[in-house]
Amino acid sequence: MQRQSTGYLFVLPALMLLAMLIAYPVAYTALLSVTDNQGEYVGLENFRRILAARATPIAFWNTLWWVFGSIVFQVVLGVLTAILLNQNFRGRALVRSVTLVPWVVPGIVAATTWAWMLHTEFGIINYMLTAPGLIDEPVGWLTNGRTVMPVMIAINVWKMFPFVAIMVLAGLQSIPNDLYEAARIDGASFWEEVWYVMLPQVRMVIVAVTLLLVIWALNHITIIYAITRGGPANRTLITPIQIFRTAFEGVQFNQAAALSVMFFGVAIVVVFVYIKTLASSGDQP
Amino acid sequence: MSAKAETLKRPGLGRPLIIVGSVLVVVVCLFPFWWMALSSVKTLRELYTIPPIWWPEAPTWDNYRKVLFESNIPRYFLNSLVISIGATALALVLAVFASYGFARFNFRGKPLLQSFVLVGQLLPTAAIIVPLFITLRVLGLVNTYWGLILVYMIITLPLSVWMLTSYFKAIPVELEEAAIIDGASRLGCLLRITLPLSLPGIVSVLVYAFVTTWNEFIFALCFATDSSVKTLPIGLAEFSTEFNTDWGAVMAASVVMTLPIALLFLSMQRLFIGGLTAGATKG
Repeated sequence: MQRQSTGYLFVLPALMLLAMLIAYPVAYTALLSVTDNQGEYVGLENFRRILAARATPIAFWNTLWWVFGSIVFQVVLGVLTAILLNQNFRGRALVRSVTLVPWVVPGIVAATTWAWMLHTEFGIINYMLTAPGLIDEPVGWLTNGRTVMPVMIAINVWKMFPFVAIMVLAGLQSIPNDLYEAARIDGASFWEEVWYVMLPQVRMVIVAVTLLLVIWALNHITIIYAITRGGPANRTLITPIQIFRTAFEGVQFNQAAALSVMFFGVAIVVVFVYIKTLASSGDQP
Repeated sequence: MSAKAETLKRPGLGRPLIIVGSVLVVVVCLFPFWWMALSSVKTLRELYTIPPIWWPEAPTWDNYRKVLFESNIPRYFLNSLVISIGATALALVLAVFASYGFARFNFRGKPLLQSFVLVGQLLPTAAIIVPLFITLRVLGLVNTYWGLILVYMIITLPLSVWMLTSYFKAIPVELEEAAIIDGASRLGCLLRITLPLSLPGIVSVLVYAFVTTWNEFIFALCFATDSSVKTLPIGLAEFSTEFNTDWGAVMAASVVMTLPIALLFLSMQRLFIGGLTAGATKG
């Protein structure tokens, strides 16, 4: 009953705006990456220079560390929380709402609050660890090169595990009851039920959420940028922050664009794997 | 084999484990906020003491006075409000039409255009920040409300289209067919039938888009450098240096910034969670 042209009319305004805001800048980035300040074509010179920069390999390894460290704990803690919230107990609705709070609050608020809690002299964390004698003297969590990245990852995990929990919980609640009944007839214990019924059933949700977390870990740089700006001594410098600083602190737009192109290449692969995963999980009954 | 009646009872976590787990989750999630609120009513001397004071003797509103009357925070609050509402509303209008087009029509290139929308939602912002900045500068939109509202469309529009399409698809097409037989136009169908029926979807899209733009940091940092358009997240980041990190004031500003989001979220929670799980796992 529908005519094709009417459909186009409906989607056109939004898509034109998106093309202007996304497709055009992406193309422009590609152009910037092979030209110099005056707009002259310089081939791969910008790529060569940014790859030769000392910070680039550091940022690359930091990014890997940041992404994998974050998602492993986010997924494990998120799934455990989802299993807990899938139990029937009084006050479950309340616990569920509370769980989402870290995810809803602004990243910058999380960053400043944790920065204060991790304050070397007057932070509550150092007090909680020194008072019972868990550590001998206060640790400079945000200034010590060895602790700063794990601390950033911990804050990111705190911020994002609620999202995993709520998505996995939705998956758990859609598992048909007869699967549990079958497991019970076989005399499965709770943890066997978790392992053989729940986890296989929500496998696709976990895969999709994990890919989404990878994309978001590459996207959301608020926590690191607001607390350390990539310091101390580039210990928390990740690639998106390097792009940002190359462009706006170093005013090297073309080199930043070259780095963006490479970063974009990696990110788009993850995005496509995510879309394929969504599509294939949609095919299943 | 001990296949007694009790094994047919659904096994669960033991009660102690549930209690311990729940308490742990609640404490981990809420402690930072409690500490934030507590720090915001402490005097300078109470903030900088060891051991920390768990319950201030004389709570003070000084930090709030400083934030609300002696800083730019109220102005930033207003900016945030204008920009978030603008970006959310504009995205919603465009998304309603686009989603209706995607949900009700078949046309060539539809799957491709839909994946383009999804890619847009997932695109790493850092990768396009440089050309966006140059473009906005050429258009004279750096440091304007319109500049930020436009840029926030990148975040809110794909998200709104994606969520609304699945809501519209869930509404039976027969209702519209009946209306068309009665002489309604497509636009009439959308505005009089589909839109009112998807009100919960609309609300959850609004909340989600509003919260996302309210919290956004990186775009605001690049495109709003003048205090007449700076948003709250930038104000908060600035606060830590402006006052040589007056932690009491920073915590008070954090409370001011978190409250609207917390209230919005708590009042719309059911819709919010429903919309979230529908939008992100289903196609």
